[in-house]
Amino acid sequence: MAARDANDLPGAIALYQQALKLNSQWPDGWWFLGSLQYGTGAYADAKDALSHYLELTPNAAPALAMRGLCEFEIGDYPSSLKDIQRALALGAANQPRNEKILRYHESLLLTRTGGFEDALRSYAFFTHDDDSNPELLLAIGLAGLRTPLLPREVRPDQQELYIGAGKAAFDFMRKDTDAAGTEFQRLFERVPAVPNAHYLYGFLLYAIDPDQAVVEFKKELEVNPSNAAAEVMLAWIPLTHIPFTQNDGSEALPHARKAVAEDPALPSAQLVLGRALTEMGDTKDGIEHLEATMQLQPDNLEVHLALAKAYSKSGRKEDARRERLLCLEMTKSGATTPGGTEPEATKPEATKNDATKNDTTPATHP
Amino acid sequence: MTRPRPHILSPLAGILICIAAISALCPWAGAQGKTESECASCHRARAESQPRTPMGRALALPGANPVLVENPKLTVRKGPYTYIVETREGKSTYSVSDGARTINLPIPWNFGEGAQTWVLERNGHRYESAVSYYPSIRGLDFTTGDEDLNPKNLDEAIGREIGLPETKVCFGCHATNAVTNGKMTFDTLRPGVACEHCHTGTSTHLADAFNGDFDSAPPDLRKKSAEDISNFCGQCHRTWELAVRNHWHGELTVRFQPYRLANSRCFDGADPRISCIACHDPHQDVVRQDSSYDTQCLACHSSPSTTPPASSTSAPEKLQTQAQIQAQTQAKICPTAKSDCVSCHMPKVKLPNGLITFTDHEIRIVKPGAPFPN
Repeated sequence: MAARDANDLPGAIALYQQALKLNSQWPDGWWFLGSLQYGTGAYADAKDALSHYLELTPNAAPALAMRGLCEFEIGDYPSSLKDIQRALALGAANQPRNEKILRYHESLLLTRTGGFEDALRSYAFFTHDDDSNPELLLAIGLAGLRTPLLPREVRPDQQELYIGAGKAAFDFMRKDTDAAGTEFQRLFERVPAVPNAHYLYGFLLYAIDPDQAVVEFKKELEVNPSNAAAEVMLAWIPLTHIPFTQNDGSEALPHARKAVAEDPALPSAQLVLGRALTEMGDTKDGIEHLEATMQLQPDNLEVHLALAKAYSKSGRKEDARRERLLCLEMTKSGATTPGGTEPEATKPEATKNDATKNDTTPATHP
Repeated sequence: MTRPRPHILSPLAGILICIAAISALCPWAGAQGKTESECASCHRARAESQPRTPMGRALALPGANPVLVENPKLTVRKGPYTYIVETREGKSTYSVSDGARTINLPIPWNFGEGAQTWVLERNGHRYESAVSYYPSIRGLDFTTGDEDLNPKNLDEAIGREIGLPETKVCFGCHATNAVTNGKMTFDTLRPGVACEHCHTGTSTHLADAFNGDFDSAPPDLRKKSAEDISNFCGQCHRTWELAVRNHWHGELTVRFQPYRLANSRCFDGADPRISCIACHDPHQDVVRQDSSYDTQCLACHSSPSTTPPASSTSAPEKLQTQAQIQAQTQAKICPTAKSDCVSCHMPKVKLPNGLITFTDHEIRIVKPGAPFPN
């Protein structure tokens, strides 16, 4: 401890290592060792020490957060995301600075692992302070243009494109839709064929104007005909967001089938196909797709909502009830009382049950 | 399979020719859509009774609002603001004042038949009125759900601004032909829920019927499953899925009958005996007498030998499957009573503001002192 206090980090590390050889069940020893190693940039060693600490103290949010940051640095992105999200759930974001660090890394990791829509929702956190900077905009642009890279992995000649997309999305998320519209038009003019730009605008518009979102998703398909995510949204909107029509799934089904054909591994594609088939009355095939999606995304509320409906329609009363109770349980933590405000737009990629009311990004999606 | 068309015009077709001719002569007729009188040519009883229901009167235009005629001056003070709704010579105004300044607005849209909220227009924006009329107090109070608005100034005190998507939902439910292909269409809007609100394709049906072809009749909603009907009615009364997706919990959800019903242990999406229309005929005013629903409850909760015939307004007996009949024998028999079932199992619940009471559609065994479920 004296060495630590004297800022003799190598000395302190060596002493903690010796002490832990004598008593490997000393939690504080592992914590301080991991913290010190993290401070010196020895991320792999820090990860090991923090793992020992977490074996002894499983729900320690700060340790999970720090291990997640170590994993981020050594490139173990899936583990890093898992740890950071668990740390956030356990209350690691207890100080503004910590929250910023963790949310930023969560957003980066979501992008890096392909959770682009969730990443955008996570980046919405940074619009409250109006604290934009080129690196943040670049990171948002990567999520918006569905590019699974970290900002440091982007080639210099590509940075302007992503910063432009990020600026447009950032303006939209901080509710300056006019400025966002101008930025998007500038982006479309500068790089008309860039994949996912119209998708991004549609995704953001969907929360406030689903009809205009449809226009953008269709434009995206003109530029990028194999964009499965755009097909997913074109299936999702008629399935969930066109009131006062006798929705039978027929409008959604062709888009859902195309989405699955383009990207069979995309869970949201399977979800919309399952829903569309259910609406068409083919509950057997619909349930098959939905159950397969559930295996991939067991925490996705939308999958359970769809399953509840499909089981109910097919007369599987007990299965439907089980799914309904599960959905109610999943939504209890973010409970709201229904006020005058009408439901916000939903999207089929939601994986978590956090109700981000008053957010300009859609709360839920496939 | 297409039925052969008759070669001779039927008497019905003659009537329809007259209607079509009148429609052609009246430029507003097409814009307003098919009127109940046209549907009444064949569906007389329903077309006559439905416009008198709360759904049929879900929206009133200026000069057609009996609530405000009966209550020509309504006043309430809420915090620093005084609200007055005044009606003179058929024209109603909504005003809010902070003592120094007053904003006066005409009331263009009256939402609701009993409890009533107004949609106001100002400088190109629409607002849900901050206060509403409640029959239970014969006066004004905060609009349900808007109690926590906390306006910062007189302009905000008018009410809650509603954007286009919400406007479409409001008018889409309270009017007919208000939303066409996803767009708000005030020019074709008709106040209240009329035939074509639920029965899509009435125009085609009318035109085809004129030619003696009845194949294009709108889908028979009675043939939908309980799950589908819940989702259909839930477009306005809120579906289970919508409530869950929005994380709505608490007593305010008692307003959302399809949501509450689907939470019931006995809800079976494939069993027509638990469908909305098994108990309610949307063409008739809602029946308030508890005993009138006994038949529907006992359709499941009675021994097979004593099962009473189902109501003539529903179609469960036609659609009942063998599995459902078997399930019927498994439904619990109430040990306490065989009448007024809903008085115990579907309790009346007041909204937290105490101003409106709803029947809780989450059918259950209510234990004394138990909290509101969910």
